[in-house]
Amino acid sequence: MEHEHDRGGPATAEPAFRISHLTKTYPGVTALDDVTLEAYPGEVLAICGANGAGKSTLSKLLAGQERPTAGGVTVAGYDGEITDPSSAIDAGVLFMHQEPLVIEDFTVEENVWLTQISKAGRNRPWNLVRRHRREQTLEALAAVGMRNVPLSARAGQLGPGPRQMLALSRTQVNPHRILILDETTASTTEDHFKDVLALVDRERAAGVCVIFVSHRMDEVFAMADRIAVLRNGALVDTVVASEVSRDDVMTLMIGESVMALEPPQPLPQAERAPVLRVDSLYAGAARAIDLDVAAGEIVGLYGLVGSGRSSVARAISGNQETESGSIELHGKARTFRSNRDAIAAGIVYVSEDRKREGFIPSFANGQNMTLSTLGAYSSLGVIDLGKERARTRELIDEYAVKGGTEGLTVALSGGNQQKVCLAKWLEADPDVVVLDEPTKGIDIGARLTIYTIIRRLAEQGKAVIVVSSEAEELLSLCHRVLVMRDGRIVSEHASQDSATDQIIRAALGGEAA
Amino acid sequence: MTTATGTETAGRKTPSGGTRPSLGWGWVKDQYPIIILVLLLIVAAFSTDAFFTPRNLTNLVVQVSVIGIVTLAQFMIIVTAGIDISVGSVVALAGVTCAMLYGGQSVVLAILVAVVVGALCGSFTGYLVSFRGLEPFIVTLGMMALARGIVYATTEGSPVTPAAENFRVIATTTIAGVPLIALIWLGLALVIGFLMKRTVFGRRIYAIGSSKDAARASGIPVERTLFLVYMLAGAMVGFAGFLLTARVGAATPTAGNLYELDAIAAVVIGGAALAGGRGRVLGAVVGTLILGVITNLLVLLNVSTYMQDAFRGGLILFAIILTTVSFTRRKRKNAVVPAST
Repeated sequence: MEHEHDRGGPATAEPAFRISHLTKTYPGVTALDDVTLEAYPGEVLAICGANGAGKSTLSKLLAGQERPTAGGVTVAGYDGEITDPSSAIDAGVLFMHQEPLVIEDFTVEENVWLTQISKAGRNRPWNLVRRHRREQTLEALAAVGMRNVPLSARAGQLGPGPRQMLALSRTQVNPHRILILDETTASTTEDHFKDVLALVDRERAAGVCVIFVSHRMDEVFAMADRIAVLRNGALVDTVVASEVSRDDVMTLMIGESVMALEPPQPLPQAERAPVLRVDSLYAGAARAIDLDVAAGEIVGLYGLVGSGRSSVARAISGNQETESGSIELHGKARTFRSNRDAIAAGIVYVSEDRKREGFIPSFANGQNMTLSTLGAYSSLGVIDLGKERARTRELIDEYAVKGGTEGLTVALSGGNQQKVCLAKWLEADPDVVVLDEPTKGIDIGARLTIYTIIRRLAEQGKAVIVVSSEAEELLSLCHRVLVMRDGRIVSEHASQDSATDQIIRAALGGEAA
Repeated sequence: MTTATGTETAGRKTPSGGTRPSLGWGWVKDQYPIIILVLLLIVAAFSTDAFFTPRNLTNLVVQVSVIGIVTLAQFMIIVTAGIDISVGSVVALAGVTCAMLYGGQSVVLAILVAVVVGALCGSFTGYLVSFRGLEPFIVTLGMMALARGIVYATTEGSPVTPAAENFRVIATTTIAGVPLIALIWLGLALVIGFLMKRTVFGRRIYAIGSSKDAARASGIPVERTLFLVYMLAGAMVGFAGFLLTARVGAATPTAGNLYELDAIAAVVIGGAALAGGRGRVLGAVVGTLILGVITNLLVLLNVSTYMQDAFRGGLILFAIILTTVSFTRRKRKNAVVPAST
C-alpha cells in the first residue's frame, strides 16, 4: 500500500497531468483540500471515495468546469493552467459527465459530432454533417458497441445506457490525451460495461491517460492501474490496484470516523406502536419496499445515488406516484393523490433540493415559515398579519434563524435556510416527518443544530425518516438504518451495534458484513 | 431555547436584526415609479398651463380608469409569472356583448353580461394554462384573435349603441368633483391590494409566481389558484369592457385595441417582475398614471400621434432599464450575505 512514484513503464515518462495543492471551497464546505496528484500517459487512474468525498469536484476541476480556490492543474504539452472548459479542451482533456451530454432533439449522428460544432461554426456551419463520412460515424458508434442504431434516430428515443454510450462515442472523433469518466457507468448495464472496458483498454494502449471516477469496486478493479482514494476532500492514499484488495480500498474510503452524537438508545419493544407502515411499495426506482416506523423512532434510509431512497421518501409523502403497494398511517390504508393529501394526513417531506422546493425565493423568512400553515393565522381567507408576525418572531428565536422575519431566505446560508424549511413543516404538527438529505450542503456547526431538532422531534413522539448518503450521520442520528441498493432494501442495522463500514459495504454490494 | 421576550415590544423592530435591508438609498430606489411620476408632473406643470386645470385632470383620470382596471387584472397574472395579451380583445368582446344582448336594455344586466363574458374568457385561458399546463403567451394569443374575430363578425365592423338611456350615467357622474369611474378604479385597486397582501389567496399567488415547484412542495394548490387568478382577471377585464362602452357611449369593434401593451407596460413600469413573484398594486396604479400623464401631456403639446407612440416606447425601455439596475443591486447584496453568516 505504499506510494508509487518509482513504478516502471509509464511512470518514467512525463506525467500527463499534474495537480498541485488543489483546494476548492464552497460557502461553508471544503470540497477539496490541498490535493496533489499526477497521472501518466497510458494508465488508468481510478478515483474512489464515498459520497461527498470530493471525487466529482476533482474531476470537474481537472476538466476546467470549476475554478480552484487555490492550487492549479497543468497538462503536459499545454502551456498555462486549466482554468475554464475551453482551456481544458485545448489541452486535450475530454470530460464524460455522469449525466451524458446528449441533446435529445438531435439525431444520433448529430450527437456524435456535437462537440465539433464550435469548430465547424468558425467557417461553414452548414457544411457540418456533410464533412463527415457516414462510415466515420458508424465506426465511432461501433467502437462503443452501438451497431444497430439508425443514425437518423432521435437521441431522445434512446434509453439511459445507450445515451451514455452515445456520449462515449465522441472519444472516437475528438482528439484527446486525457479522458475523464465521471461515474460514467452509473446508469449502464453489464453489456455496456464490457464495451466501456474495451474502450478503456484501447485508450490505454493508445497512450491516453484515463481517469475513472467511481465508487463501484468491481469496475474499479476491472480497469484501474492505480487507485487514488479521497475522503472528506483530502487525498488519503494512492495505491496500485494489483497490490491491494477491495477491502483495503473500502477501509481507506471509510476511514476512522468521529461520532458527532451518541447513537440513541433503542426504543423499548412495548412502545413500538407503528405509526407508518409501508408494504411492498413500488414507486419510481424503489422496488418492493417494506418498512415501518414507530412513534418516537428515527429510521435512516441509506443508499448510493440512484438506489431509490429518494423515491421511497417522495412516495410516502405523496410527492411521487406509487405504482403499487400500500401505505398505512395509524393502521389505516391511505392513498395520496398529491402531497396535499399527505400533508393533510400528517406526513410532511423536507426536500433534498432545498433551492428548488424548500422555500419561495422572493419571500422573507417569516412568510416562508408560515407558508404551509397559513390557515392557522387567517379567518375567511384573510390573514391576521399581526398574529402571523408574532408567531414568526417566536419561530425565528426558537430556531435561531439569522436575518429576522423580514430577511430573504434565499440570502441565508444553507444551514439557516434548512432551519426555515424545518420550521415551516414542523409548524404543521405532522405525525410523520420525512427528511431527504437534511444536511446536504450544510457546514458542521449548523449540522449539530439540525440533528438536535430532529432528535427533539422523535422525543415529541413523531415518526421520523431520514434519507442520507452519509452512513456516519445516520448511525449517530437514527435508531435503525435501512440500506438500499438497486431499488430494494437489502439490510437493516441497529445503530447501537453497527459500524459505518458495514452499512457502506451493504450499499456498495460487497460481501455481507 | 425559546423565549417569547421582546416579541410584543418595540413595534416593527426585528428581533435578530442582521440582514434586514436598511431604509436608505435602496428604499428610495424601490420607489422609483413614484419618483418618475412626480418628475413627470413637474415637467408637465412647467411645459404647459393647460395641464393643471380641473378639466384636464378630470379628463386624464377618466381616460386612464378603464386601462387602469385592465392593468390591475394584468398585474395579478404577471405576479403568477404569466402574461395575458388577450385583454384588449376581451374588453371589446365584453363591451359589444353587453351593448347588444339584454344588457342593452338595462345597465345592471349589462354589467352582469360583461363580467360573465370576461370571466368565461378568463376561465377558458385559465383552464388551459393551469390544468393543461400550456404557455400563457400562446394561449392568450389565441384568445386575442378569437375574441377580436367574434367582435368583428357580430358587429360587422360598425359600432353598437346600447338601447338603455342611462347607459352613460356611470361614466358622467362625479362625486365631490371626482369622476365616479375613477373612484371605481381606485376602489378596485384597494380591493386587489388587500387581496394580494392580506389574504391566503394573494400569498399563494406570490408564492406560485416566485417558484411553482416550491409552492407545490409546500402544499399550495397551484393549478386551482392559477385558474382562479385568470378567471378573476377575466371578470375585471369584462367589467372594464362595460365601462369603456359606457364612457364612449357605444361599443366599437376596435375598442381596447393595444390595451395589452399598455397594461403590460404599466405593470412593468410599476416595478413588477415579468418573471413573477414580485410587485405591488400601488406600482401598477402609478404605472398606469405615468403612461396616462405622458399621453395627456403629449396631446397638450401637440406632438403627433406617431411621436407619442415613440415617446411611450422610450419610456417603457427606460423604466425596464431602471428595474434591472435595482435588481442587480439586490442580487449582489444576496451574494455577499451568505459569506458573512
